Amino acid sequence: MTSESTTAPANSGFQSETANHFGETSTDASLLVNDLCLFYGDQQALKDINLSIPRKEVTAFIGPSGCGKSTLLRCFNRMNDLIDTVTVTGTLLLEGQNIYANDVDVAQLRRRVGMVFQRPNPFPKTIYENVAYGLRLEGKIPRKELDERVEWALKSAALWDEVKDRLKESALGLSGGQQQRLVIARAVAVQPSVLLLDEPASALDPISTLKIEELIHQLKSDYTIVIVTHNMQQAARVSDFTAFMYLGELVEFDKTDDVFTNPKKQQTEDYITGRYG
Amino acid sequence: MNPHISEQFDAELDAARSQLMEMGGMVEKLLRDATEALVGQDAALAEKVKLADKRVNQLEVDIDEQCVNIIARRQPAASDLRTLISVMKASTDLERVGDEAGRIAKMAISLADLDYPTDEFSDFRRIATLTHEIMAGSLDAFARLDTDGAMRVIAADQAIDDAYDDLVRQRSSKMREDPESIEGDMCIIWAARALERIGDHAKNIGEYVVYLVRGQDLRGRGKHQLG
Repeated sequence: MTSESTTAPANSGFQSETANHFGETSTDASLLVNDLCLFYGDQQALKDINLSIPRKEVTAFIGPSGCGKSTLLRCFNRMNDLIDTVTVTGTLLLEGQNIYANDVDVAQLRRRVGMVFQRPNPFPKTIYENVAYGLRLEGKIPRKELDERVEWALKSAALWDEVKDRLKESALGLSGGQQQRLVIARAVAVQPSVLLLDEPASALDPISTLKIEELIHQLKSDYTIVIVTHNMQQAARVSDFTAFMYLGELVEFDKTDDVFTNPKKQQTEDYITGRYG
Repeated sequence: MNPHISEQFDAELDAARSQLMEMGGMVEKLLRDATEALVGQDAALAEKVKLADKRVNQLEVDIDEQCVNIIARRQPAASDLRTLISVMKASTDLERVGDEAGRIAKMAISLADLDYPTDEFSDFRRIATLTHEIMAGSLDAFARLDTDGAMRVIAADQAIDDAYDDLVRQRSSKMREDPESIEGDMCIIWAARALERIGDHAKNIGEYVVYLVRGQDLRGRGKHQLG
């Protein structure tokens, strides 16, 4: 369990010197996780996670169902705050700042750490309005600038050419793959530093999946990307680093090339080769 | 190693490994027959070696096809991937060992036509014994996934290189002194050259065993770096 100085309930914040201490040692890390534990009531779902997520690289979380990979992902933008019984201890730094500190504006945090879910969830609005929505929350933006930023976001999400002539049509008329890219455009429109992708392609057909994977490859030059996937070949294809989790613990974290050719831990080997552990 | 959840995958990998071992056994016999044909100046046995080499070539094609199918269908990772890559690479080396045995057989046929003294093979026999040992050692290490055995194979190649250098040196001075036996001596030097290359292939197989088991690539490392 964590020491007194690095432990605190999720909503009480942490000591700032702890954040500074870890912030200084993490120049290449976008997210730095230190002794992170998470409990659902009495049930411990994450156990002493220590992890450094490299900036502007793709990191994949893999592991069997219930291993805690989505729970860990949701810590990065405090989505777990929405569950009453959750308690978090340890530190989690975004660019050196403790995201569980008292004074953190969670809405602001979620603009810096965008998230895309398994099922595309566009708003029942036009394609244009879906992307403009987050931008409007920033305050009054001149129409011309808003148009430009919507176009930029749709281009970033490799969707512009397919929708530029029907921006005023409902987003719900798009295919599943297009909807998922629209959701990614909505997330990147507010220019976050981190993109969290929770099984972003598991509801899509193989071609749409490849488009999303290609998009991930393009986006990593601008964003730190963390992806949870059940598809190990997808993790191998898209990520630079892979974290293997099992029963709430981080078993192995290394370069993807190493994890998929020569993992260091037997548990990782058994999982990625499809063996009985 | 734990079994795969897919028993069929285990069976496919076993089949690829078994086929490599079958090829290894065939190549070992070819090598023994080829060296025996040379020292016994037995042209008939040498002809058999040349024929059998064709079967070895076909086995390499079969093993490649089997491994490619497994890679395409299973997308293997980690030790499974290393196993398949090692099996494919080892089969290429074994195929070349078969070719070298064929070269020795050719030399045996040439030598059988000459009136060459039968008591002048001790240097060749020495290299042949070392080569048989290193081939057996490399296949044994592969079958048992024995990295210690593989490291012994890698180290043993040097003794073959040294023995080959000695043979060339001694035969060269002999040829100067006794020009009449040049043709036969050249046959033996060429056959010894084939054995020296077989030693290199066995060493490669030893390196694949280390890669397969430890994920470590030893190629291009000097002797002092091996350990």
